[in-house]
Amino acid sequence: MQVVTSRISLWERFQQGDREAFALLYREHVDDLYHYGMHFCADGERVKDCLQDLFQDLWQSREHLSANIRNIRYYLLSSLRRRLLRSLHRDRNWFSRPDMESFELECTLPREHQLINDESAAARIRDLQRALSGLTRRQREAIYLRFYQDLSYDEVAELMVMKIDSVYNTISKAIGALKKALLLPLFLLLLQYA
Amino acid sequence: MAIKDYASYTAQELALDESFQQWVLRPEGGSRFWEQWRMVHPEKQADIQLAITLVRGIGFKSYTLDTAQQDRLWETLWEHIGEEEQHSSIKITATTKYTGYKSAWKYAAALLFGVAVSAGWMLLHNPQRAAPMQTLALRTAYGEKKDFYLPDSTMVTMNANTRLLYTATDTGRREVWLDGEAYFKVKHAQGQRPFSVHTYDNVSVAVLGTAFNINSMGKQVQVVLEEGNVRLDLGEASSNNNHELYLRPGEMLTYNKADGQYAKATVLTATYIAWKKGRLEMDNYNLADAAVFMEQVFGQHLVVSDKNLLLRKISGSMPIVYNADTMLMQLGKIFKVKVGRSGDDVWINGK
Repeated sequence: MQVVTSRISLWERFQQGDREAFALLYREHVDDLYHYGMHFCADGERVKDCLQDLFQDLWQSREHLSANIRNIRYYLLSSLRRRLLRSLHRDRNWFSRPDMESFELECTLPREHQLINDESAAARIRDLQRALSGLTRRQREAIYLRFYQDLSYDEVAELMVMKIDSVYNTISKAIGALKKALLLPLFLLLLQYA
Repeated sequence: MAIKDYASYTAQELALDESFQQWVLRPEGGSRFWEQWRMVHPEKQADIQLAITLVRGIGFKSYTLDTAQQDRLWETLWEHIGEEEQHSSIKITATTKYTGYKSAWKYAAALLFGVAVSAGWMLLHNPQRAAPMQTLALRTAYGEKKDFYLPDSTMVTMNANTRLLYTATDTGRREVWLDGEAYFKVKHAQGQRPFSVHTYDNVSVAVLGTAFNINSMGKQVQVVLEEGNVRLDLGEASSNNNHELYLRPGEMLTYNKADGQYAKATVLTATYIAWKKGRLEMDNYNLADAAVFMEQVFGQHLVVSDKNLLLRKISGSMPIVYNADTMLMQLGKIFKVKVGRSGDDVWINGK
């Protein structure tokens, strides 16, 4: 609860034109926003341009923004997303590119799994990668927003204009694939020690 | 949180649950529910473990905007804001409003004399433009440590009970007056605008893109250089009795306020900068050192009844808790002494 209160007062200070509060907001969020932008389009210069516009507009419109933004991170992410989309729409080449690189999941297995170096474990990991890459870009983005950016299911649904059930099903798919990859090696491991 | 029948959940269902994910991903978030639940459901241990592995297993490639890039972006966007605000002639007034400027302090009046405070500091990014001088005053109370960014993007961490006054002139000269302890990470801009830190004890530090710690709290002034280059000016500037010397990274200057004697030594900088990260580094640390610490950070005066207690030395590291009583209790435990209070004094007795 304390965190929430201090955030809100930081926001209020920012709205009153407090440059230090603005600097703190910037420092707190810029790296995560950049991370999102890079997963969104993998174009560093474009992401930085959009971030610059985002923070400039934020400062200039500070008095007109809502005083009770409940989640600043959500607000900034959705604003960055709109800007990136607008910027990318102007660039036709971008949409013809394959979108495999965006929001690519890097799943990690616990250390005991890395000990098993046999063929079937390697095959399992390949299966996992295949299953995950079978997810669409939007689905991967939803997983990313929940797990990396800490948005709630509700917020993910709102930001992506998706039904909350779809968010849930998407994440369920990813976890299911991961579990499938996990369970067999775990079984092998148990056999080894039996 | 709605009550759900978690006991019937499979590992996969647990891993899908928002509050479970939150517990795994942001343990600092503070809900104790899952820890308690885990204790009363020993039969679910395997499921919980698998669910944790699943939640943690989802990761994404990392991209980072490092501090230098963040600084560059910040500077660019301020330049743009500055230009636009100028065009639309929105006046930014009184930069002293900039931050938690809580109370007037003894030095401010003299230093502010004759200083016209008006337009915004973003103008400084372009020295050719006529930019009036601007000032900024910051302070921290006892038991408080704070990070600030100065208008030129210099990062400063102020220890407790510290006052700082910043001015920048139209020529781009940046000056800081410091009373207390602070760590500076100075932005090294292309124009090499001079940056200097003055203490009220005739010690000044001239800087070029550098990170250093300066402490003028006790009977001495200490300057510890972490990286970069500084020139030190010691003694009254007007007298014949002033000296100039240079520090290299890893060196510390100690200047005695009373007699003006000074010495240079090579030190482990991390020990002197640990406070910035909220840690107390203790290397052959005794109660006298602890007393200096308690005085500086909390304004508490420690009285040690038995001089033999001062012989106890310890080495190690602990987090600084910004609460005087908690900190005293921790120190009491480490030194194995009894701590009592009478008025503003804190008594230390053997056990």
